[in-house]
Amino acid sequence: MELQIDIGGRTRTVIVETKDGQYHVTSDGETWLADVAVIDGATYSVIFPDRGYASQEVGVAVVGPNGDLSVHLASGITTVGRPTGAGRFGGRGAQAAQSVGARQVVAPMPGKVVRVLVKPGDQVKARQGLVVVEAMKMENELRSPKDGRIVSVLITEGTSVEAGRPLVVVE
Amino acid sequence: MSASLTKVLIANRGEIAVRLIRGCREMGLKTVAVYSECDRTAQHVRHADQAYAIGPNPPRQSYLRIDRIIDAARASGADAVHPGYGFLAENPEFARACRDAGLIFIGPTPEAMDLMGSKTAARAVAIAAGVPVVPGTKEPLGPEAPMADVARIAAEVGYPILIKAVSGGGGKGMRTVTDPAELASALRAARSEALSAFGDPAVYIERRVMRPRHIEIQLLGDHHGTVVPFVERECSIQRRHQKVVEESPSLQVNPGTRRALAAAAAAVARGVGYTNAGTIEFLLDQNGEFFFLEMNTRLQVEHPITELVTLTDLVHWQLRIARGERLDLDPEQALVPRGHAIECRIYAEDPDRDFLPSPGRITAMRLPAGPGIRCDDCGAVAGADVPVSYDPLIAKLSAWAVDRPTAIARMARALGEYDVRGIKTTIPFFRWLLADPDFLAGRFDTTFIDRALACRNGQPFQEVPPEDEHLSIVAAAVHAMTQKTAAASPAAAAAGDGRWKRHARNQGLR
Repeated sequence: MELQIDIGGRTRTVIVETKDGQYHVTSDGETWLADVAVIDGATYSVIFPDRGYASQEVGVAVVGPNGDLSVHLASGITTVGRPTGAGRFGGRGAQAAQSVGARQVVAPMPGKVVRVLVKPGDQVKARQGLVVVEAMKMENELRSPKDGRIVSVLITEGTSVEAGRPLVVVE
Repeated sequence: MSASLTKVLIANRGEIAVRLIRGCREMGLKTVAVYSECDRTAQHVRHADQAYAIGPNPPRQSYLRIDRIIDAARASGADAVHPGYGFLAENPEFARACRDAGLIFIGPTPEAMDLMGSKTAARAVAIAAGVPVVPGTKEPLGPEAPMADVARIAAEVGYPILIKAVSGGGGKGMRTVTDPAELASALRAARSEALSAFGDPAVYIERRVMRPRHIEIQLLGDHHGTVVPFVERECSIQRRHQKVVEESPSLQVNPGTRRALAAAAAAVARGVGYTNAGTIEFLLDQNGEFFFLEMNTRLQVEHPITELVTLTDLVHWQLRIARGERLDLDPEQALVPRGHAIECRIYAEDPDRDFLPSPGRITAMRLPAGPGIRCDDCGAVAGADVPVSYDPLIAKLSAWAVDRPTAIARMARALGEYDVRGIKTTIPFFRWLLADPDFLAGRFDTTFIDRALACRNGQPFQEVPPEDEHLSIVAAAVHAMTQKTAAASPAAAAAGDGRWKRHARNQGLR
């Protein structure tokens, strides 16, 4: 299986295969051999035979409207873009042929748009501020989930928004 | 006087309602829960002996509805009501309504609440008890007070000053003024916030003590005139005037200061004939001098750490006092700390978005456990929603050990085990805090967190070290693969251990 995954603001091409009951995961020229057991739902026990049998428990959860994943490790939590990609056995499918895909930035709770910081066509970097929404007497700057380009801005200053309302689309 | 107590209605929700139900159960008392619509499946409802619906989600339509709560108490046959903290806990009208309905209120009298609930009246009580207070105004300043008078009073109190809401709490309706030229606009802002948060725009002015420690004394008072103060709580770790970490004892308080604080607290409580549980808050300045700040006429959020270092159960005592029992605790022992306890308030907030509340569905939850860990959680489980309508406190995590470094190590270990998915929590913030050198050294005051956060320059709490990046890649890849496998093959989806898991893996190999 070949996947495109956004990690740390950069899109990675990741190849996953299983052989002899173990996972081989390749990205950026490195391959990791992993023995994986499912603990429950989306919690996995991962042992790396090539790395001194290092043992890790990892948890995964789907967060946000785009199907992004929150990855929970012993050392912390990180958000990873929704893996998109081809069929199970490698090769490129329709999904992989398009770019990683447009990502929506939505209002986290009911509020009002007080400032729009970008316009369609702007190039943005991961964590760059896009929109400021006022909610519960506090101003909250919503940031870009990735490096990319603003595809559309769906609101204007003064728009009242409900939780989940898409505000900006980044590609 | 001895009252019979058989059934207690808990007029609250979340973690404190669960904690109170446990305390009542341990004393052989029946419990009654009340719940709003979204709390139908909450743990306090499931654990109580009886449960009554009291309205839609907004507190004003449910947990603040005195009439509905009293009705539920009557209908259930409860003979007592425990208000918890927040909501109606310090509302004298509620305490009176309980009394009028013949219900025992597990807390102080409405009269004590009236007196100590007004910050200016409470200061007057402290002064009368011979306890030092922070220099400030004696009378509240209503909106009709002329600006010239306010300016004169501010100059008398001495800059820097703090404008505070008379009916306030929780850091709302407060403004610091260092320059007299800013007084008028700060006053307007404080009044406006006070009006909207508490319905009362009256403010008072206090000297702002620079870099203070916030130290509080828990006490119990029975109906026979005995007041017992306990080992202090250190509550200086605050973000925007809200407590986030509490410890007991305080590194800054030696036995002599402890006795002085305890004596002062007891004097204030006796001054109002205080009964049941309460807490006196003090500011400790850099010279070791302390000043009375205010009194909280309720059981507080952070009560577990006092329970851990003094081997007492404050909720049991609240019930026993309400029954008319005498406090037979050894007051000397109540001032001897046993070990060290720390508590972290775990909120459903995103520390990378200025602690914005993060309501939503919890998809996985794993609570910490093990030696020295006490987790007072709200009982949310995977699949539960953290509601938007209330304070998003999901748990109070406490660690106890023989000394502070070990308590910190236990807390850090427990925070590493505490896994909540689907919503954002302040756990990553606490993991950073518990490793901060200033925190470890005990070098902090009430401005510490705000300053330390500013120094981070927006660096996210939610991140993993670069050397672990490969784990995120492997996790995401494995997850995508197992999700696809599960979708493609029902047998694989049912995979458990052993034979079926091997079968699933084999399917994946074809």
